[in-house]
Formats: sequence, C-alpha cells, structure tokens
Amino acid sequence: MSDNTQSTIERRARVIATFKGELIRRLNLPYSAEDLHEDISLLGSGLGLDSLDALEIVLCIESCFKIKIPDQNVAILRSINTVVDYVLEQQAQRGGAA
Amino acid sequence: MRHSPLKGRFAAAGAVFRERHGAEVVARVAERAAEYRAVRDAVGLTDFSFLHKFRVPAEQGLDFLDTLLAGNVPKIRFGRVLHTFLADSDGLLSGDCYVANNDEEFVFLCESIAPDAELCGLLQAAGVTEAGAEDLTDSHALLSVDGFKAWDVAKELFGADVLGLPYLSLEVYPFEGASVRLIRAGKTSEFGYLMLAPASVAVALFDALRAAVAKRDGQLCGVDVHDDLRLEGRFFNIQAEGLRVRDPLVLGLQWMIDLDKEKFSGRDAIHQRRAEGLRRKIVGVAAEPGNDALVTGAWIFHANQPVGEVVADCHSLALNRRLALAVFPVELAYSGLSFRLGTADGPAVKTISMPPIMPKSLTVKLDEM
Repeated sequence: MSDNTQSTIERRARVIATFKGELIRRLNLPYSAEDLHEDISLLGSGLGLDSLDALEIVLCIESCFKIKIPDQNVAILRSINTVVDYVLEQQAQRGGAA
Repeated sequence: MRHSPLKGRFAAAGAVFRERHGAEVVARVAERAAEYRAVRDAVGLTDFSFLHKFRVPAEQGLDFLDTLLAGNVPKIRFGRVLHTFLADSDGLLSGDCYVANNDEEFVFLCESIAPDAELCGLLQAAGVTEAGAEDLTDSHALLSVDGFKAWDVAKELFGADVLGLPYLSLEVYPFEGASVRLIRAGKTSEFGYLMLAPASVAVALFDALRAAVAKRDGQLCGVDVHDDLRLEGRFFNIQAEGLRVRDPLVLGLQWMIDLDKEKFSGRDAIHQRRAEGLRRKIVGVAAEPGNDALVTGAWIFHANQPVGEVVADCHSLALNRRLALAVFPVELAYSGLSFRLGTADGPAVKTISMPPIMPKSLTVKLDEM
C-alpha cells in the first residue's frame, strides 16, 4: 500500500472513529462502531433519526471537530461518510490557512 | 408464473415484461432515461404488484412476524412502518421487507429473491398458518408513485392529509368503495408512496394515478430504472447487491437488525459472523466519464492485486458517469481512495461517499406547504 493511500486511510479512519463513538454515545444507539456502515443514511431511512437527533448530530460535529455546520445544509448530514467528508475538507482548509 | 392485475394496462402502454423470481414484472415502459428524468424531475408510476403481500392480524400475528424478521416488530408504533429483512437459516438474505402497524393488522410486504417454495418454507417455519395471515399477493395490486412531484399526485387522489405523513408511515384511504393502504416510503431519494389496493379497484386506481401523473409531465416506469435510482440514492437493492452478496453484514444492513432479539430467521448464523468480525465491506465506486467498464462482476485492483468485486452498477445520469458498489477487504473499504479497474494498469476508479447526489425532493418541506 502506498504512503499516500495509507495516510488517506489513517486520516479518515480517525475522524470516522471519533464521530461514530460520539454518535453512539450521544444518541444511545444500540450498535457498536463496526455495526454502523459509513454510508448509512442518518435521517429518514437507515438510522431513522428525527429532527431533534439531527440537532444533536450538528452539536456533536461542532464540539468534536471544532467546526461550524452551515444552517439548513442537509447535504452534509446525509450519511456518516458525507459528514466525514465535510470534516476532512474543513480540517484541510484550516491546515492550509494556518 | 405470477401476473399483476394491471398487466393489461401496462401491456397496452407498450411495457416490456420479464420474469423475476417467479413473477412477471414490468421491466420498462419507455426509454430508461425518460423514466429516470420523470422520477427525478416530475413523477413516475411503477407496478410493484410482484412483491409478496400479507395482511396479518395484530394479536395473532405479532409473534409470527417477530420470529420471522430481523427487526423488532413489537416496537412498531401505530401508523408506522419498519424496514427490515428476511434471512434464511444460514443468515443470508431472502427478502427486503416493510411491516406496517395498522392497529388491528400488520401489512407485510416482501420483495423476495427466494423461489416461492423456499419463501413459503420460511413463512411456514415461523408459523404463518397459526398467525392467520392472509396472502394478498394475487388479490391485491401494489403501485408505487415516486418523484419530485409524487406528493402532488397523492394529494390529488387522497387529499392534503397525505402531506402530513412522515417517511415510513401508513394511512388508509377510501377509493371507489374499497380501502387503499398508502405507505409513504420509496427508495429513489425522491418522494414516494406505495398504494396497496384490492384487485377489484386496481385498474380504476391505476387510471386515476396515470391521469394525475400525466398532468405533471410524469411517466409510467418499469422496475429496471429503479435499480439506477436506488443506487444513486444508496438505498439497499435486494435485486442487485443483495442478490449478489446476500450477507447482511457485508452489505451494511446491521441497522435493519435488532441485535438484542433472541429469535429470528437466520439469527444464530448472523450473530456468529458478527462475533468473528467483519472482513469485507461494501463501498461506493465511481468511474471517470466515458469509462463504461465499471460493471457488475468486474474486479478492482490495488498494488497489482485484485481486491474488490463490483456487485451493483448503473450509469448515473445525474453524475454523467458509471456508479457502482463493490465489496472490498475492510482495510481498504474507505471513501476517497484510487484503484484500477479490470487489470493492474486498467483505468482509474475511485471509492466515493454515498449517496453522491442531492435529490430535488430534499429541498421541499411538505409540512410547510
């Protein structure tokens, strides 16, 4: 495995682990981190979370990763992977700006 | 082979039929792109009568359904719908199921990939006869209205009340002296309504829906286009990746399982595999525009080795490229990685986060209309 692939995986895996752990803890989900597929839908089908849960997810992301989720941006909250993409993008921008 | 009560209407509209697990289905009615655009931009009307359909008395049938299915049936609140699956004794998928709690009854819909005899065996083992379940498969039609304007069609037929229905809920509406059980569901990312109607009014319901769909520049659809719509929206498709993989854990369907349940069909095998740990996992893959080789059965290479197998594919009109799902070893099952397709020096493909499209329906709030 190339260094680039390895570092992409490690960076992503860290964010996934943090987000899943917090998601399970805050929403009291009856699953282990391994049970939650990263493409699972967070709202509606899949985990079937409601609008209050969505608010909790936003707070979870903001406090875990110190980033802001724009209001009404449902695209970010569609799956664990879409959340992770947003977090990595924000972290890269912050790193680039520093 | 089972036939839909609406076969005549679809045949007259020029539908192409084919067999799917013992039932005749409408494969397509128009060009696939026209059907796709109808759902994404307007509304499509599809015949899903080939699903197995049951009415199960609530009191007698609760244990039967809970013993059969992976999800927790007693926890379904009145008027709500559970999306779960039916597995065989090896814990491999046999059906993708909806169970709706309609007070005195459960409505049980099953999109099965098992032969009818095998499905019958699973139902019998769980006590379908003792449960007093009534098989509606031949006596009822199941129509699906999907699309950005599907809510407007449902509203025209059943009133503004339908706008208040949350996703995965059921309501019963009168139609021509019969009862139509309407389930807000859908696996296209757009608004979706399933309508279960007795065969006696099925043609009248179809005619009314078809007229309402036409008024909104909609289109009759076949089931084939739903493969594309499901994949773009990353809805589980038992006819594609489900049929090819069959292991609910590899497919990421743990959310459909109540892991605390002591009994359901296939439970022991699923729990054993879960305890052993996940070794393979399904991931979204996209090709560059113009690369048409990303098809089911193709292999994906990493460092000169085949590592992933494509298990579902479509041409995404929204993304103008081929889109797929592939099964990878868990250590490579991450979005954002580059691979080669077909051979070690084949064209580049990339794993992606799903769902990759933003449907129009997510921009509309029905409860504010």
